[in-house]
Amino acid sequence: MAALVTSWLVAGASAARAQVTAEPSAVVFPDPAKFAHGLYTEGEVGAVAFFGKAGNDVSPGFAIGARVGYDLFRWLALQASFVGSTHQISGDNPLNGQLLQTYQGLVEGKLTYRFGQTPLFGEGGIGLERLSTNALYALMVEPRYRVGFVAGGGGGLDYHSLSRHFSVGVRGGFFVMAELTSSQELMASTYLRYTF
Amino acid sequence: MPGRQVGHQVALTFSLLTPLALGCQGMNTPIYFPSPDPILTVTGMNDAMGNAPRIENGMTLQFRNPTDAEQKALDTQTATLGFKVPWIQRDHVHIELVYQVTYNAVAGAAPDDDPNDIPQFSLGIDGANEYTKYDENIVAMTLGEGNDDAPQYIPLIPVTPQTIAEGQTISGTVREDDFNEAELDLDAIGRWMAPFNAVLINNSQVNPIGLSMVPPNVVIPALIEIDVNFTANRNMTCTYDIRVRDDNDQLLHDTTNTLFSPTPTLFVPVVPATT
Repeated sequence: MAALVTSWLVAGASAARAQVTAEPSAVVFPDPAKFAHGLYTEGEVGAVAFFGKAGNDVSPGFAIGARVGYDLFRWLALQASFVGSTHQISGDNPLNGQLLQTYQGLVEGKLTYRFGQTPLFGEGGIGLERLSTNALYALMVEPRYRVGFVAGGGGGLDYHSLSRHFSVGVRGGFFVMAELTSSQELMASTYLRYTF
Repeated sequence: MPGRQVGHQVALTFSLLTPLALGCQGMNTPIYFPSPDPILTVTGMNDAMGNAPRIENGMTLQFRNPTDAEQKALDTQTATLGFKVPWIQRDHVHIELVYQVTYNAVAGAAPDDDPNDIPQFSLGIDGANEYTKYDENIVAMTLGEGNDDAPQYIPLIPVTPQTIAEGQTISGTVREDDFNEAELDLDAIGRWMAPFNAVLINNSQVNPIGLSMVPPNVVIPALIEIDVNFTANRNMTCTYDIRVRDDNDQLLHDTTNTLFSPTPTLFVPVVPATT
């Protein structure tokens, strides 16, 4: 009996046709004006690689960082960042396998060009970098130093979620170190941003 | 957004970041000292007595003198314990040695196909703390006086001999716990009249023979001089780096501090008189 009823329902069903009663309203979506702005923080993970002389003896390493900033305008922000990365000494030398950490703190300016949910940005700044050991000196790669000035910048792509506060993005940067004149470092990371 | 709320959020952010930064900073801050020039190189040719060639070099770690407050604390601790407390202590200065040995191929040399003559090398590490210096060559020479036996080398830290193929490079590490054991042994020999061969041959954690005179609350001095003896029966080179973790910032930096310059006494074993 149930099968008979089901067959009747399936055979007897007619196609549904929607009735358009009005054009959908043209909503500008998403509206960047509704995104939070002002004080923000970011947490990031990524990688740092050395180039130049240090690149021959220091492997690329895992990086973790944080950033706090303030949007002065929609297109301009000031921020402070801290990134730490850990590396392994490589190459044909006794220190092969030893660990080296870098700690880098910068004050930066950030310019943003917004279109919809995906702003592009460029940033740059100066700060200090500290190496955890003098391994590069012991390898005769660089002069004896562990703390020095660093400057650089980069850019990235932000993707704003439909949440008012959250966005994610990727960024890359290129930095030169005042005391490591023959070496540079390249950083790439992905981040999560929360704007208060 | 109210200003107070913003302030709290900034404070929260930095309070979370600061321990992270400080924690990272304290994790790994050793200082490396490269091996002195010239690097250890042997040709593999035996000496006139038929012994495998040996070569030695080393370095003295430079520490600063204690400040007045630090000296006062040392004096107080010395008075409390009843024996001298060293300035450079094993608990605050941690030493490790990383080495790399390469068997350099020699053009035209015979192949290593003699099973009774396998290419190999060994390392022996000696050194000095602020009271006593130990040199395996001096000890071997003293023990060898009056006989024609092959010299017996008993280093503070022996590194197990390793075989190596032509053109190969071998790396290794003499760990901090190896140095800890050596530092205990050297102090026992130098200050507490321990029989040197008993304490050097035995691991104190397995067999503490010879350490009965060492007070249980002894403050053990760290090595301030590290000497490396390299032995090989082929054309080989050895490079090394000394890795030091200096907990209390006692290494001498380029400041106004003055150099700590103790004069350790060279240990010479007492050889029983032959009748």
